[in-house]
Amino acid sequence: MRLRKELWFGFILMALIVIPTLWFMPLSHMSQGHFGLLMLSLVVVAIMLGFPTAFTLMGMGVIFTWIAYRMGQAPQEVAIRQTLDLMVQRAYAVMTNDVLIAVPLFVFMGYLVERANLIERLFRSLHLAIGKIPGSLAVATLATCAVFATATGIIGAVVTLMGLLALPAMLKSGYNVKLSAGVITAGGTLGILIPPSVLLILYGATASVSVVQLYAGAFFPGLMLAGLYMAYVMLVAKLKPAWAPMPSEEERHVELPPLARQLTGGARRKTLPTLLGAIADSRKAGVPVRASARQLAIALLPAFALAVGALVVYRAVTTQEVVDTSGLQEMGSFDDEPSADEEGVQVPPEAKKEEAKTSRYSLDRSRLRAEAAAEAPAAPAVGGRVPAPPAFWIVLGILALTLVGLYFSQTFERLEVFKMMLGSFFPLAILILAVLGSIIFGWATPTEAAAMGAGGGLLLAAAYRRLSVDVVKESVFLTAKTTAMVCWLFVGSSIFSAAFALLGGQEIIERWVLSLNMTPTQFMLLAQFIIFILGWPLEWTEIIVIFMPIFLPLLGHFHIDPLFFGLLVALNLQTAFLSPPVAMAAFYLKGVAPKHVTLNQIFAGMMPFMAIQIFALALLYLFPQIGLWLPGLVYK
Amino acid sequence: MQKILLTIDKISTRFGQFFSWLIVSLTALMVWEIMSRRFFDAPHAWSFDAQIQMYGTLFMMAGAYTLSKAGHVRGDVLYGFFAPRVQAGLDLTLYVFFFLPGAVALAYAGYIYAGESWAIRERSGIMADGPFIYPFKTVIPVAGALLLLQGVAEIARCVICLRTGEWPSRKEDVVEVDVDKLKEMVHVKDEDIAALDEIVVKQEEKAEHGKEPRS
Repeated sequence: MRLRKELWFGFILMALIVIPTLWFMPLSHMSQGHFGLLMLSLVVVAIMLGFPTAFTLMGMGVIFTWIAYRMGQAPQEVAIRQTLDLMVQRAYAVMTNDVLIAVPLFVFMGYLVERANLIERLFRSLHLAIGKIPGSLAVATLATCAVFATATGIIGAVVTLMGLLALPAMLKSGYNVKLSAGVITAGGTLGILIPPSVLLILYGATASVSVVQLYAGAFFPGLMLAGLYMAYVMLVAKLKPAWAPMPSEEERHVELPPLARQLTGGARRKTLPTLLGAIADSRKAGVPVRASARQLAIALLPAFALAVGALVVYRAVTTQEVVDTSGLQEMGSFDDEPSADEEGVQVPPEAKKEEAKTSRYSLDRSRLRAEAAAEAPAAPAVGGRVPAPPAFWIVLGILALTLVGLYFSQTFERLEVFKMMLGSFFPLAILILAVLGSIIFGWATPTEAAAMGAGGGLLLAAAYRRLSVDVVKESVFLTAKTTAMVCWLFVGSSIFSAAFALLGGQEIIERWVLSLNMTPTQFMLLAQFIIFILGWPLEWTEIIVIFMPIFLPLLGHFHIDPLFFGLLVALNLQTAFLSPPVAMAAFYLKGVAPKHVTLNQIFAGMMPFMAIQIFALALLYLFPQIGLWLPGLVYK
Repeated sequence: MQKILLTIDKISTRFGQFFSWLIVSLTALMVWEIMSRRFFDAPHAWSFDAQIQMYGTLFMMAGAYTLSKAGHVRGDVLYGFFAPRVQAGLDLTLYVFFFLPGAVALAYAGYIYAGESWAIRERSGIMADGPFIYPFKTVIPVAGALLLLQGVAEIARCVICLRTGEWPSRKEDVVEVDVDKLKEMVHVKDEDIAALDEIVVKQEEKAEHGKEPRS
């Protein structure tokens, strides 16, 4: 019976697409544009029938391109030649696309990181670290998912692994099945939003938006969504403790190593005084000085990291002005005329801006320039260290206070947890932040950062002794298959959209949309609603490559920033993973869940998270600064 | 028949897997290039061309390989609910209508395109004195031909399935989500999952009686 229902659902959807299209077709005098629309509806039907999307698009593109040329009164032979030319040029354009080249590199990085097998430690250490907050297991699951999914980007693997690790843990502690399922599926799909994600690369390639800006823009919305999920879980745990009980003392217990046990003598003692005491009087403590010193060094790592970080930021903040002026000077004249700018050397203002834009954020060039400025005698801001803004001192103060608080309360148990995090959470976080940071601050292009990330993935796998010929082989083959899947889809869609444009389908849609006289807000809402609906039967790849080219030309009419639109779309497409019947995440979880956990339970568990996604979408729409602040900061 | 199909699979797989190693050389080249440029101030002009060619070759040559492992993304709204015969019938139709024109056109057009490039010994125009790109353009017809060959094999599979009512087997390959392997990786056994089932059942029972006053 169930089977019937799904089939009906699909057929009704198809009928909903085909019948109106046919209804509006003036069958007696079909224009080219009408063929375009027909093609669009046919392609949706063909995709829903389940034929590989890439070839559906490619085949249809070829056929309709030929029709377009034939209708353009070209003779048979010319039409065929033109069709072939168009096709091969489109394919070659994808082969030489310098944005998509980052895809295999990020994918490769993901497979390597996944195989470094950090997830078990990551989950356990995070759980122990936050054991005291309500719903700690679920929050730890979300955090693990967010970190791991971001580093790997492989949703299926993350959901499956968390289904194996977190689901049993949560069920054993008495968590509600639906809540557990929802947490895992929603958390696992975060990787597609938080950069570095392949989705944003695909959007960037489709919309000709800079991937750097997309990454910078998607960072905070991604964190916001993860934060909202966690807030929701904590709220549920507070309101319905039966759904997410607190872990027992036993589960929170951390086994101390012999050394620490000797130092503490079984009591709860603070790390710093104990360790300092042990170093000062090693005989009394009965522990060699070197062992205590090592513990102390580990315990002091956060303080050290904060000091280094503060110093780096302080330098960056205070030298900024110098970099600015010298950047402009150099543009005007290279060495001897420091005031060339005011005298009006013929430099087009755009070029100047351009130069300042590109140079400010490239580290070594700006350093060079700063040195040059310091040497130039008449430079206006010689050695110009501006005082750091108050925000810097405030943030530093807060961090320092937190640190002091941390040391006041740090017991040896917490130190053990911290050590576990050092081995799991921090390597991943540093890898992600290094890749992202170098992209956002312009030290490397996304492609270069992806390559460095892939190299980092290799190192990570090697560091955890998981690097073998087999692991590399598997990762390489999987990378090839995933890249082929994505890029062939792109080949198909680029032929398809060429045909669509050739037939003039785009014009008809544009004319129709403009005739509706919508306000930009209405248009935006409509577009997001359509994408949301498309997310139910289709997957995100298909939506991006087929439908984005249709929406994008319309954005200009409504003065919508393609970057902002992209962020909304990325957030919106999160729902595509959680909306039945094609909710990938649910099926992966079902594959490893105990057999009495039904698909319906999983779907029901996902619904609140889908609501949160829509809420996040609304938040981002109402406060665009969440997304646009960082790109704006970096690209003034 | 099955033997021929598996042989075709093997050809596609060999080609695909051979060229998939390009990802390693691509990573290595880029890391080396970044180091060379940043720390030794010695960028290489040909590097970008080489990167593009590696990437393009990698994914084009893996197309047939991916098809042979059924790895191209499908819109799985209805497909999974159909009986194998219906699946095969649909696939067969769509292979003939969409796939064949596309693949034939790609291979043929690529052949002409690459031929023109060979004729002038074309070099890359990204920079002066760029490297040769006619071997790179040759990838298009080769990938198209491989794809076509694999497509014919897939069509044969559809026909077999239409006759026998079940899909002929494929040779296994590494998959993205290999549940057994992942289970081993995180030390979870099937018994553990089965044991969990009790908890789930208990919770459901409790939920059903939840409305009644607790004793």
